[in-house]
Amino acid sequence: MSSRLSAGPPKPAMSRRALLRGAAAAGSAGVLAGCAGRPDAHLDADAAPWKRYAGTTLNFISENTAPTAAIAADLRPFTELTGIRVNIVTLELSALAQKVALDFASGNGEYDVVYADPYLVLAPYAAAFADLREFQEDPALPRLPGGFGDFIPAHLDTAGRFGDSGKVLALPYDCPTMVWQYRADLFEEYGERMADDLGFDPTPSDNSTWEQYHAIAKWFNSHAHQVRYGTGHQAKQHDALMCDFSNVLWSYDGSYFADGTRVGRFGTTDPGKCLLRSDAAVAGAEFYDRLLRVADPASRTWDWDGLGAAFRSGRIAMCPNWHEYAAANETALPGKVGYARLPKGPARSAGMYGGTGIAVSNVVSARRRRAAWLFANWATAPKTQVSNLASKVGGGTPTRASVYAVPRVVEAEQRPSKMPNMLTAEAVKAAWKDANLGLRPKIPMWGECDTAIYTELSRMFAGEVSPGGAMRAAADRIDRITARGWVN
Amino acid sequence: MDSSPTGNVRETGSPATPPARPTPPARPARRAALPLAGFNGRMMAPGLLLLAAVSLLPLAAVIAMSFARVHLLGGLRLEGVGAENWARLFTDPDMAWAWVRTAVYFVLTVGGEMALGTALAVCLWRLRRGRNAALSLLLLPMFVAPVIVGLLGRFLTDSTFGLYTWLLRQLGYNGDVMADQTSAFAAVTLMDIWEWTPLVALIALAGLTTVPSSALEAASLDGAGLPRTLRHIVLPSIAPVLLVALLIRSMDALRYFDIIWNTTGGGPANATKTASVQLYETAFRFFDFGYAAVTGLLMLAVTTVVARYFVRLLERKEPAR
Repeated sequence: MSSRLSAGPPKPAMSRRALLRGAAAAGSAGVLAGCAGRPDAHLDADAAPWKRYAGTTLNFISENTAPTAAIAADLRPFTELTGIRVNIVTLELSALAQKVALDFASGNGEYDVVYADPYLVLAPYAAAFADLREFQEDPALPRLPGGFGDFIPAHLDTAGRFGDSGKVLALPYDCPTMVWQYRADLFEEYGERMADDLGFDPTPSDNSTWEQYHAIAKWFNSHAHQVRYGTGHQAKQHDALMCDFSNVLWSYDGSYFADGTRVGRFGTTDPGKCLLRSDAAVAGAEFYDRLLRVADPASRTWDWDGLGAAFRSGRIAMCPNWHEYAAANETALPGKVGYARLPKGPARSAGMYGGTGIAVSNVVSARRRRAAWLFANWATAPKTQVSNLASKVGGGTPTRASVYAVPRVVEAEQRPSKMPNMLTAEAVKAAWKDANLGLRPKIPMWGECDTAIYTELSRMFAGEVSPGGAMRAAADRIDRITARGWVN
Repeated sequence: MDSSPTGNVRETGSPATPPARPTPPARPARRAALPLAGFNGRMMAPGLLLLAAVSLLPLAAVIAMSFARVHLLGGLRLEGVGAENWARLFTDPDMAWAWVRTAVYFVLTVGGEMALGTALAVCLWRLRRGRNAALSLLLLPMFVAPVIVGLLGRFLTDSTFGLYTWLLRQLGYNGDVMADQTSAFAAVTLMDIWEWTPLVALIALAGLTTVPSSALEAASLDGAGLPRTLRHIVLPSIAPVLLVALLIRSMDALRYFDIIWNTTGGGPANATKTASVQLYETAFRFFDFGYAAVTGLLMLAVTTVVARYFVRLLERKEPAR
C-alpha cells in the first residue's frame, strides 16, 4: 500500500484522450456499419428449390390489413419450408407509400417484398418491381401452384399488372370489395311492413336499386327503434368517400375517364380528359347527395373503419362497406348480418374492388429477388389462403379461384361458419363479374386525383357547391393534374 | 433617469452639459480577427460545421428542388423547370385558402393560449396553498404528444362512442362536431389550446415570480386593486417573458399538423386544411417534391418574418443595459 501511495496520484486506467479516440472510432464504425448495404441472400445451389435461400432474412412491408395479420401470426410454416426468416413491417397505407417511395429513391432496397397497392404504389412505381414471370419460368425456383391462371382474372389484371406490357408485377394478395351489408334480423322483422309501405320487396337482391335503397333507409329512419338511422356511409373527407361515391357514379353510367374498364383494369400513364362533367356523372352525384341527406349525419366523420364500428354498434341498419368486415360483424352481431351485391342504378350495379398484390422489389439484389419470390409464392398459395381464412386474427379472403372450390371453404359460406369472411362469398363473386366490377383509375397520379374528388364531394355535402358544380370542379382539377403528367 | 434629493424618481431631459467621460487609454491598432480564429474558434468549429451540415445543406437542397421536378425512381434526380413551381404557387387558390385558414388558426390559438395561460398563471401565482399540486395538474396536457392529443380528440368526439359527443348531446347539441366546418375548426383549435396553454402558464408564472415584491407592496399601500396592479405593474414586468412564450407558440402554430391530420385530415370541405397539411399532402401523398419545396420555403419565410417581429419587440422591451 505504502509504496503505491508514494508513487504519486494514481493514473486512470485509460487517459481521457484515449477514451475520446476510442469513442470516435466506435462512432465512426457505427456510422460506417449503418451506411453499409444489406447483406445479400444466402445461396445453396445444391439444395432443393424451396431451401436454396435458407438463412436469408427478408423484409416485407405491408399495409396493416387482416391478411397480413394472419400471415404474421403464423410464419412458422414458411420458415420451416424455406429456412428464410421474414420481418414484417405493417403501416397505414399512406405511410407505406411514403416508405416505399423513399426506399426506391435512396436505392437502399430495404424492402424485398412490397404490398403494392395498385393506385398508390404499383402504378407510380411499376418500373421498380420485378416481372414475376421470370421467376415462374425459372426451373430452379418453385412454380406457383396452379400457375397465374388460378388467380381470379380480374384480380390478377387489376392488382398484378400495369399497362399493356403483359408483365405480372404482383401476385393478388387480398381482395376487399364493397358489398351491401345489412341487418338481416331487422329486414326480417320489418320486411312485410316495409313492403306494404314502400310498394316493393325490400329484401336485398340482384334486382334492388339505389332508389329503393334510399327509400328503405328513409323508412328505417322513422320506423325502427333498434337503430338510429337506416343507412350510414364512409363520407369523411378521405379516400373512403371516393370509394363510396364511385359505386353510385358507375351505377349511373358515370366514369372518371373514357374506357374506364381499361384504365381501371390495366392502368395507364395517360388517361385523357376527365369525364366527371358528363350528365351521367352529375346525375350520380345528385343521387349521392340526396342519399347522404337521409343517412346518419355522422357519416361525414366516418371512413371505412368508423362506418364499420357504427354498423357493429347497432347504430345503422345497412351500409355499403368492404366485405372483409364480415368477421368483425359476425363477432359483434352473430347471425344478424346479411350481405348482398350493391344495388343497381340506371346503368348497372358496381362494387368497388380494392384488392392489392404483393410485389418483389427490383431495387434489391438478384439473389434477394429470388428469395423474395419464395415468400410471395407461399403467401398467395391456395394452402396459405385457406389457413388465413380460418385465422383467429382475421385473415382475408382468397384471390385464388381454386380455394373457392375447396369443400370446407364452400361449407363456410353458410352459417355456422368457421370462416366468417366466406359468408360474403356470394355477394363478392357477383361483384367480381366483369359487368359489376367497379375499378377506379389505375394511374400514377391517382393520389392527387383522389384528393380532388373527395374534397369536392365534401364541399358538396357542406353546401358550398351543387352536385354539378362539385363534378365540374373535380374534373377541372383532375385535368390539371393529369396534364402535368407523372414526374417519377 | 435621475434621483431627486427627496428620493422620488423623476424623468430628466437631455442634460445641458453632458458629464465628462474619462477618455479610454489608446489601444494598439489590431487587425480584424477572423470569426473562427483562435482557440475559441477552433473549439466552436465542429459545432458550427455540424450546424451548417444539418441546416444549410438541406436548405440549399430545398431551394434547388423548388426549381425542379424531383424524380425518385432510380435514385433522386432533379430536372430543372425554371420558375414553374413558383409561378404555380401564385395561381393556386387551394394554397391561398390554406394560408387564410392558417392565419385564422394562428390568431385564435396563439391569442387564446396567451390570454388563458396568463390568466391561469396569475391564478396560480395568487394561490397560497397547493400551488405545486395545481401546477403539476395544469402541466399534464403539454406532456402528451400532439399525435396522441389528435387521437384522443378523435375518440372523444366520435359520434358513436365519444364521451364529449355524449356530453354535448346532454346539453342539447345534436350535431356532429367533426362533420361541420365551423365546429371541426373550433375543435382542432381547442385541442391545441388545451395542450399548449399550460406552457404559456408555466412561462408566465416564472415571470411573475420575478415581479418585485416592493413594487407590489407599494401598489397595495397606494390602494391599487388587483386589476390596476395587474395592468400597471404585473403585466409590464412580465411582458418580455410573455413575448418569449408568444414567440415559441407562434413558431409551433404555423407548423401545426399532428392534431389536424389525426382528427379531420383537413376536412370537412377543407375547413381545417392549413398550410402545413397542404405541404404534407403535396410532398408525401402526391410526391410532388418540387412544389412542396416551394410551399416549405414560403412557410420558412413566414415563420422567419413572424419570429423576427417578435424578437424585435422583445429587444425593445428589454431594459437598457
